[in-house]
Amino acid sequence: MSGFLRELVTGSLDLLLRVFLIVVPIMVVLELFEGTRAFRAVVRAWARVVRHVGLDERSAAPTLIGFMFGLAYGGGVIVRDVRRHELGRRQVFIMSVFLSMVHAIVEDSLIFIALGASVFWVVAYRILWAALVTLALTALATHWLRRRGRAGPPPLSGRPR
Amino acid sequence: MTGPDDNLAGAPVPGAPLPRPPQGFWATVRRDLRVGAVSGLQTFWDLAKVMIPAYGVTLALEKLGVIGWLADAARPLMQALGLPGDAAVPLVVGYVLNIYAAVGSMQALDLTARQITVLAIAILIGHNLVVEGAVLHKAGVNGFAFGALRIVAGLAAAAVANLLMGVLG
Repeated sequence: MSGFLRELVTGSLDLLLRVFLIVVPIMVVLELFEGTRAFRAVVRAWARVVRHVGLDERSAAPTLIGFMFGLAYGGGVIVRDVRRHELGRRQVFIMSVFLSMVHAIVEDSLIFIALGASVFWVVAYRILWAALVTLALTALATHWLRRRGRAGPPPLSGRPR
Repeated sequence: MTGPDDNLAGAPVPGAPLPRPPQGFWATVRRDLRVGAVSGLQTFWDLAKVMIPAYGVTLALEKLGVIGWLADAARPLMQALGLPGDAAVPLVVGYVLNIYAAVGSMQALDLTARQITVLAIAILIGHNLVVEGAVLHKAGVNGFAFGALRIVAGLAAAAVANLLMGVLG
């Protein structure tokens, strides 16, 4: 039991330290660069890509962070942006599905590539798979919400541009 | 989930006049550093609150031997992915713990390149389910449902990849 407790404490501290060392710099860097022309250009370019899975421009930044750094950090930015500009539930759902399927694309993929996995399958195939699952589940959820007649998210035809 | 003390610095209070944007480059940088640090600490705290209990659950599952039990249950499934039964161990280790632990236990197995790729796809999509599920829950979706989704969709992705690799050669 004391072994368990010791591991719980050291493991928790280790986890806290890692989260701290990644989350705080990400938030500071985001805050510094969010207003700049270059950052906005990157986010807009990324938004043009993720538009195809139903994500709008406000969801582009959290999605990009999650895609690059990992689900926990993307989730952190989602929590922040839900507070800041009231991301809709529909957007949060789509982001969560997409990031569940593909996140930390550099670090996680490299671990398995180093082990001998094929780059094409763990990167390109995974991204394609994520897009397909996201589209399918969004369509399913929309259909389900409509049938239940709830005040759900708007139909897939989406927002005026 | 959000308490009264959770209000983020920088988030506008409805009705309050907008603060005047700081003038000058360094004033802006100072403001961004401050707001970034505050929102970083807030996010850190948000994540810590859900990640630490989730980590405790994960550790308990490991100590109670749930991983071995689940791996035994998942064994027959491995055949559908063209994997040996033992591959269930790294898969379940990945589900409960994380990618690094999964890779560690993969090294004990003798797998072909194709099997490594198939297993990698399943683990890349589904891993660290308790801790990341807690974060997703905090973000506003059902963490349990998303855990199940990642297991099912990950296995399906691996099965499809295995089939396609067979067809493509």
